[in-house]
Amino acid sequence: MAVTTKNLPQLYRFCFLMTGDAAKAQAAFQDTVREATTKTDAEEPPPDRLWFFRDARWRCIALGEQGIQAEPGMLEEVEIAPSAPAQIAQLTPEQLALWISAAPEPQRSALALFYLDEFTLVELLSLLEMKAGELSELICSGRRQFQAWLDSTIAYYGEEAHDAGQI
Amino acid sequence: MPDKSELLLGCAPITEKPGMDRAMRVAINRVRHGKKAATFGHQQAFDAAIAKLVRDIPVDEQLAEWFVNENLIPVVRRGWKKIVRNPVVIAIAIALLVIAAVTTYRVYERLNDFPGADKARRLLSVGASNRSVLLDPLQTDAAALSDLFFLKHRLEHYDVPAEFADFKTLGTRVFDDDEVHRVAQIWVKEKRMQFFLFPAEPDKQGKVNDFSDWRFVELEGWTGAVTQRNGVCFMAALRGSEKDLRAYLEKKKQ
Repeated sequence: MAVTTKNLPQLYRFCFLMTGDAAKAQAAFQDTVREATTKTDAEEPPPDRLWFFRDARWRCIALGEQGIQAEPGMLEEVEIAPSAPAQIAQLTPEQLALWISAAPEPQRSALALFYLDEFTLVELLSLLEMKAGELSELICSGRRQFQAWLDSTIAYYGEEAHDAGQI
Repeated sequence: MPDKSELLLGCAPITEKPGMDRAMRVAINRVRHGKKAATFGHQQAFDAAIAKLVRDIPVDEQLAEWFVNENLIPVVRRGWKKIVRNPVVIAIAIALLVIAAVTTYRVYERLNDFPGADKARRLLSVGASNRSVLLDPLQTDAAALSDLFFLKHRLEHYDVPAEFADFKTLGTRVFDDDEVHRVAQIWVKEKRMQFFLFPAEPDKQGKVNDFSDWRFVELEGWTGAVTQRNGVCFMAALRGSEKDLRAYLEKKKQ
């Protein structure tokens, strides 16, 4: 599929989810687009849609290794609650991006690409270079960890959500 | 351990797009009508809520300008030189040239064909597949066989032309062919050459037009020189090219 500038907002959102930081996301995004332009100018085969996300992924991983790192550790996991959509509605995109960007690789990339709601399963597996079972496991454990985090951050009382803390 | 459909459901698409994998479609349909429908519904609602949040990620104004600029990633237009150098295009061009050359050759061959050329080619294939044991051994001059054909087989004008009259024979036979009808076949010592005598083919008007010159037919490495006299075709055939046969024809002229 050809890439037009209409696809680029999704690329930026991906970078933002991967880095959790607008400045880093912008840097990764701009470098990827510049690289694509250079390739095109050099009359190399035009980059396809997946190329953009693959290139941006590695740039985001490299940028993520700079600065403060999330501490590795076992996160609590709980089953998805029926109230989860209401809890999520209380979040800001920045909070979500911070949580995803703190996940270890390749879970971080898997969650970021999956929640873009942009790719088919086959494309996701190609981008992440993994099997469907591995991807499913990463997404499922990500959901349970996110629910646990939601429960600890945003308490939900019936129809009303209560912000129980800050990130 | 979760089965394959459970694994697939773990990464079920948030919005179902056309062209979804069949296994995934089946797994989703099954779970929606099964005991785990509620759990799957929660998962879908959870994913949809996060996807909505992702769509709400604000894009920096400075970056938004990049999206407006349609020429940011120029579409590479392929020049004709690049297209011509493409190996696929080259392969197709060569294949087309070969097909055109073969077709032209076939058409040219047919245009220069004489009535009876098809029969001659058929007899070339007979000559290529025959063994000398099939023939009655007979050692004499080729010219002497005309009388034998007439007296024994009632074949009139089955004469060997002067160019080949002196050739020593090894054997001969007369047989009936479905298409060529009465055929006289002669083996000679010279280069394992074979002679064929057979009835001439009438033209579209039903008229038999003799020709005293030599016309050539080829088939699978065999070449035949054909002449037609008194309504009977004579063909000298050998394994080789037209050049090999011409040598005999020119020798006689001298």
